[in-house]
Amino acid sequence: MTTTKTPVSFRPRELVVAEDGTGHLVGSRCPTCGAHYFPTREVCAGCLTEDLETVPLPRRGTLYTYTVVHQSTPAFETPYVLGYVDLEAPVRVMGQIDVDPEEVAIGMALELKIVPWGTDDEGRTVWGYRFGGVS
Amino acid sequence: MTDVYVIGIGMTQFGKHPDRTTASLGAEAVRKAIHDAGIDPRVIQTGYAGHVFQPMVTGQQVLAQVGLAGIPLANVENACSSGATAIRGSYLDILAGVADVSLAFGTEHLTGAFKGAFTPGEDDPEAAVGATMPAVYAMRARRYMEEFGLTREQLARISVKNKRNAALNPLAHFKKDITIDDVLAARPIAEPFGLLDCSPVSDGAAAVVLASGDWVKRHGDPARAVRLAASALRTGEVETAPGSMTFEVLTHKTARDAYEAAGVGPEDVDFAEVHDCFTIAEILRIEGLGLFEQGTYPHAVERGEADIGGRFPVNPSGGLLGKGHPLAATGVAQVVELTKQLRGEAEDRQIEGARVGIAHCRGGKAAGVEGAACTVQILVR
Ligand SMILES: [Zn+2]
Repeated sequence: MTTTKTPVSFRPRELVVAEDGTGHLVGSRCPTCGAHYFPTREVCAGCLTEDLETVPLPRRGTLYTYTVVHQSTPAFETPYVLGYVDLEAPVRVMGQIDVDPEEVAIGMALELKIVPWGTDDEGRTVWGYRFGGVS
Repeated sequence: MTDVYVIGIGMTQFGKHPDRTTASLGAEAVRKAIHDAGIDPRVIQTGYAGHVFQPMVTGQQVLAQVGLAGIPLANVENACSSGATAIRGSYLDILAGVADVSLAFGTEHLTGAFKGAFTPGEDDPEAAVGATMPAVYAMRARRYMEEFGLTREQLARISVKNKRNAALNPLAHFKKDITIDDVLAARPIAEPFGLLDCSPVSDGAAAVVLASGDWVKRHGDPARAVRLAASALRTGEVETAPGSMTFEVLTHKTARDAYEAAGVGPEDVDFAEVHDCFTIAEILRIEGLGLFEQGTYPHAVERGEADIGGRFPVNPSGGLLGKGHPLAATGVAQVVELTKQLRGEAEDRQIEGARVGIAHCRGGKAAGVEGAACTVQILVR
């Protein structure tokens, strides 16, 4: 096992982070009808197929809508931009948006970024995700 | 099949009650409903208690204070739809012939349990990235602005209207008229919302006593009984592809169930109490219920059509924005308001000639579903 080297994800069932710092969101894909889900599901809501595949979700998508949050829980420093991003599967995922509040716009192209999210009990960096402008 | 009637209503003052408990608020509302019904409490055969952030078996604590201990009672949690779901329990007991008379109430001492912005359940993946309930609705507002040209001022007008109605309701949390400028100048919460676009954190309780048509004929006061013609409940469906956030399929489907059960259509409805947890929410509910075409309700509000005295009054009680939002009490308080209006007992905020009223509640959020629980109730004079 090389777990000591593997970066720590803030939610391992939803975000996989590789040793090189790249990563992807984890979803489900229905082999029967092709529907995608995030977070993962046991059963396809469309056709009731039970053996859904666990798949990496596409990294790119477009911003469906957003807000600038000024009041939140103590876990988050405000203000921050929060949005729903329609990934290419298609599947909609919520995330913070790394775009200036003055420049953020519905329909803009975005891609997944792996970002430092905090530290765990052992002092290791915990990694999370945001969506940023396509480079 | 038997008909179901509302025969008694009771509600506490909504607002901040630092010196009260959940159970004492609930007991006050229940006693008021029993007195309003003019019954011996021992005729009540079953009960349902809605509460969200309150102690276990809060319902039984209330029963013990009102002389009703012993009857079958279930505590009900369905987020903001908890109280309306409790009413549905009583409604179904009567339809099933299990009870002739049943009690439903919702009680919430929210200021003792919560401060600041609500978030979805703690383990929710959206809460983990910073979702709050205001943020989720703010995003729907932003999208609605993009699709239908909704303006910030049109949104603000909903808060102004509901707080004006609340100022006419002695039991409402807010007692003061506000202006559009007040709404625009309020502290920002989640853009485009400021504080006055959001319902307040309130304490309070509301209760109703329901009875069968036969019971009303034999023992009741038919002049004051109002028929509960439908009490529909649905849960949000998992989306198989990204859906619209500007039209509520869940509200639409729940309303369809309710209209069918009541044998009325949206064109027959005279007024509404809807779940305006945020300004945008009133727009989404009213359009989802089929009462206005999508994209048109903000203009109707601007023209005064949703005012008391307008063509189609919405939230005459003040709604959640004005009356306050003690989560589980909200759905019951809506039925209290509909009953008052249909009896002609709404005093300064009376809607003239109202015959059919509709109440809508929606609560909860889970990632990947459109909404958690939705209730629609129709009352007919
Ligand atoms: Zn499928």
